[in-house]
Amino acid sequence: MDPKGSLCSNNWARSACLTSPGNGLQTNMSSDPSPFCGVRIEAPFKDFNQPSTNQSLLMAEPNKDIKISDIENCPLTDSSSQTGKLQDWDPNVMLNNLSFLEEKIHQLQGLVHLIDNKKCQPFAQPDALVTQEQQLITADLTSIIVQLISTAGSLLPSVRHTLANTSPLVSQLSQLRGLNLPFGSGPSGGIQPQNNNVNKVFDQSTQNDVPNNCEVEQNNMEEHETKDEEDVEEGENLPPGSYEILQLEKEEILAPHTHFCTICGKGFKRDANLRMHMRGHGDEYKTPAALAKPHKETGSEPKLIKRYSCPYAGCKRNKDHKKFQPLKTILCVKNHYKRTHCDKSYTCSRCHTKKFSVMADLKTHEKHCGKDKWLCSCGTTFSRKDKLFGHIALFQGHTPAIPLEETKVPAAPTDLDSKDNTCDKVGNMNFCFGSNPPNENEVQNIMDVKGNIDDPINYFSSLNFEGCNFGGFNEFSQSPFEDSDASFSFLMSGSFNYAPKPGCESTSDNL
Amino acid sequence: MSESLLCVLTEDLLVRVLHHLHSDADRKSWRLVCKHLNRVESLTRTTIRILRIEFLLALLHKFRNIQELDLSLCPRIDDGAVKVMLSQGSPGWTRGLKRLVLSRATGLGHSGLEQLVRACPLLEAVDVSHCWGFGDREAAAISCGTRLREVNMDKCLGVTDIGLARIAVGCSRLERLSLKWCFEISDLGVDLLCKKCFYLKVLDVSYLKVTSKSLRSIASLLNLEVLVMVGCSLVDDVGLRYLENGCPLLKTIDVSRCNCISSSGLISLVSGHVDLVQIAAGYCLSELSGPLVHCLKNLEQLSVIRIDGVQVSDFFLQTIGKNCKFIVELGLSKCIGVTNMGILHLVSGCGSLKILDLTCCRSITDAAISTIADTCPDLVCLRLESCDMVTENCIYHLGSSCLLLEELDLTDCSGINDIALKYLSGCSELVRLKLGLCTNISNIGLSQIAYNCRKMAELDLYRCVYIGDDGLAALASGCKKLMKLNVSYCNRITDKGMEYLSHLGELSELEMRGLSNVTSIGIKAVALSCKRLADLDLKHCEKIDDSGFWALAFYSQNLRQINLSNCNVSDVVLCLMMGNLKRLQDAKLVHLFKVTVKGMELALRACCGRIKKVKLHSSLRFLISSEILDTFQAQGCKVRWD
Repeated sequence: MDPKGSLCSNNWARSACLTSPGNGLQTNMSSDPSPFCGVRIEAPFKDFNQPSTNQSLLMAEPNKDIKISDIENCPLTDSSSQTGKLQDWDPNVMLNNLSFLEEKIHQLQGLVHLIDNKKCQPFAQPDALVTQEQQLITADLTSIIVQLISTAGSLLPSVRHTLANTSPLVSQLSQLRGLNLPFGSGPSGGIQPQNNNVNKVFDQSTQNDVPNNCEVEQNNMEEHETKDEEDVEEGENLPPGSYEILQLEKEEILAPHTHFCTICGKGFKRDANLRMHMRGHGDEYKTPAALAKPHKETGSEPKLIKRYSCPYAGCKRNKDHKKFQPLKTILCVKNHYKRTHCDKSYTCSRCHTKKFSVMADLKTHEKHCGKDKWLCSCGTTFSRKDKLFGHIALFQGHTPAIPLEETKVPAAPTDLDSKDNTCDKVGNMNFCFGSNPPNENEVQNIMDVKGNIDDPINYFSSLNFEGCNFGGFNEFSQSPFEDSDASFSFLMSGSFNYAPKPGCESTSDNL
Repeated sequence: MSESLLCVLTEDLLVRVLHHLHSDADRKSWRLVCKHLNRVESLTRTTIRILRIEFLLALLHKFRNIQELDLSLCPRIDDGAVKVMLSQGSPGWTRGLKRLVLSRATGLGHSGLEQLVRACPLLEAVDVSHCWGFGDREAAAISCGTRLREVNMDKCLGVTDIGLARIAVGCSRLERLSLKWCFEISDLGVDLLCKKCFYLKVLDVSYLKVTSKSLRSIASLLNLEVLVMVGCSLVDDVGLRYLENGCPLLKTIDVSRCNCISSSGLISLVSGHVDLVQIAAGYCLSELSGPLVHCLKNLEQLSVIRIDGVQVSDFFLQTIGKNCKFIVELGLSKCIGVTNMGILHLVSGCGSLKILDLTCCRSITDAAISTIADTCPDLVCLRLESCDMVTENCIYHLGSSCLLLEELDLTDCSGINDIALKYLSGCSELVRLKLGLCTNISNIGLSQIAYNCRKMAELDLYRCVYIGDDGLAALASGCKKLMKLNVSYCNRITDKGMEYLSHLGELSELEMRGLSNVTSIGIKAVALSCKRLADLDLKHCEKIDDSGFWALAFYSQNLRQINLSNCNVSDVVLCLMMGNLKRLQDAKLVHLFKVTVKGMELALRACCGRIKKVKLHSSLRFLISSEILDTFQAQGCKVRWD
């Protein structure tokens, strides 16, 4: 960080050059006393680095700073001290808080616009000045982020309960820190004070801060369509009436797209994608303003939180249900409706048994399908052996299935360990066919089998196995190797006088 | 037997008489009397052990009421054989079958096993021990026998938790199960077993990689009476504590060679089960702690205790002697600290002792043995291997007091001489006598034993160098029931001695390593007359040449195991032997310097399909064609490389 003094003076000097007088800038940045930014950045981050920080401390630090400069922040400070108690929270205060944030972001946006425009001016600026501007924005952004975190922290019930341990928040913060490192580390980070960029950063930070919010604008859409809602929000206990209930119609839910291009009519799932698309329709859509995320009208009065109801009558997620549990976002509604009230039309292409109604679920399943090697006789598969055994212990008559392709190669450690597996198989095959009467076909057979060894079913054909020795049983001397028997008997009767005992000593001796 | 006598004896009387004939030889004599008796015998016979699969079908037709079929000595049983058995055997012969012994039937596959099991609706017991190639599929085949109460799967190396689960689910009435050496089975499988088979009474989990978790599951078995867990080195005291409060009917526990358990674990186990009858805890403790001995005091029912290899004190033996009045068997093999005094204290209380193992208790002298002999008249088995201080003085007491003695091990007791054997011959019930390395005994002493101990079935004369032909002559005339004889390295024995031996009609196991004076003539005599010979060890009998081996190949048709290492056998004769001995299962063929690689290959081909185990010199490993080795592998034959 540069020394505070120089930053301060330069900053003001610079602003004096601008078309608008210093006052104007001051009013623009009313909530942000830039001279203190250096101090403000350091304080919160120092705290975040310590995992032992508890929430009240965390909240208090940034708020204290804000209080010094801004009267508007008074309720916020209250709220933070309230959230410090961790037990009860006031949605009104929260809303205040949020609108404050919104305003602040607007201001920052204006500032960046200003800088951006200025950059287009013909005369070049000294590098040091640019650096300072960047730092200014950095500082502002950081304060916004800190504010957001603290707000989010008090907003999320789950986080609120565990805040004593600070682990979720701290982990979020560390994540955040990683993301925003360029800001903290100064000009070397090379962040361009561009509108677009700032927006993106903001998006990311909100995403980090409010993990439950599924509707975060992001460009990588597929990853984001996972099943993150429903289960997570079970613990939410919004008092009835504290939120606004919206109910989409079935057709609306099942519509593939919600954003349509006004020019060509193409549909999109996300507004961001539509905006990207619009660029192709002319230069007017390429301006930063057009590409920026459209903000909701900045109504000063606090708005109710939006929650959603499922249109399916009788569903627990339907607002008329006795124990109604609202859905948090539109995506939640969509996934819930498809999963619960729609046919499962996506079938797994690997196992052809599992069906899903949400594409993302299918994709998740397909990632693991086939890895479930533990199979029960009822057809259920398990990825873990202990799960299978738990299942078998639970259900009468269920028993583990032994997969068909398993070969009969003995698991015993054999002395013939120099051979590899393939060799074993060949050996087995030879044996299988070896019992056939030797003819020209035999060689052909063996060759065929060697060719087919990759195919497990072909290899372990029980037919071949059982067929062997069957014919030979009655005479007990027909295995191919015993052909030598005949030659020996000839040998012994010819050259020597030992008469082979016929049939041994009757059955009695063999008992 | 005259005609009139047979008229008097009705069939049911004959059946009653037959019930009192137990030995195979007696029954054989009975069968040979006349057709009538033969018919009675074949009708009442319930168990049958097949030695040659060739006769199986005929025997199945002859004996209609078989309940137990033993195929363990049939090396050639395989899936095809099963098919023929089921399709061509007498109709419904499997209906009454309750017990199936398939031990070492390594050629059998899962499909054959399944057919067999499914064909026997009343099957209650299956023994597939030592079928090392068996795995989950075979276990699944066994699980088709829903009425099974007893399954023995020792050393089925491929069986995993899945296979065990199949059996646990399929055979829920299981009462006895042995899983020894099924190394793949883990806690999961045992846990499921205990959840599914509540009727288990006997469980053997020896040498499994199971932990104390398994014991927690086992503790929930309310009917368990016998738990054998030898060599479960992952089980510790925590597991034994689970048992303390579980298995209310537990009578027998074997924790031998469980390295991780200590006295405290045993104390908790013992204090939870005061009516324990048998404890085996050999090689798992370094010494018996005082508190444990105090606990053992409470076990009034205790009759068998084996604590091999543990350091014991006189106090322990005294406690046992004072408190455990019903002790029948005591195993102190290789225990450190067993003294004469301790033994005196012990036997003063335990008059009912029947089996006492003092192997390698080297400080024991005549005084202790004499006291044992005088106070324990019921003694049946005494093992004194390596008790060097034992002399003829105590044998005198044994011979005069312990008239019920059946088994005595005096291996490596250098104090034993001819006088001692003379005293010992008073124990006329002796069945098993081990005199290996007793280098001071001669033909005179052996003759005394031979003439007086006529029930002798097993005799070990390993390296008794003064034993010669005369001793064997006495044996042949006195101990007609001798089945097992070891005369290895008794170099005075010549062909004449072997001719005497040939009079032993029951002889089935003969170990005669390194008999350098025996030639083909001697072995021919044995081969011609000892029809039951099943196990023959000829290692280093270098004077026997091809003609002797020819005789074996043609006449010793019941040979099951043979050791021909370092013998002068040629290519042709080796092939002949291996091809002709149809019951051969195990052959050791190392260092046959007259046999070429080609000859060996031929010999192996000749026995392929029957042989289960073969030992070859390691230099042949890459000389013998891999095709043969693959075929051996496929047929369940193990090749050991020396």
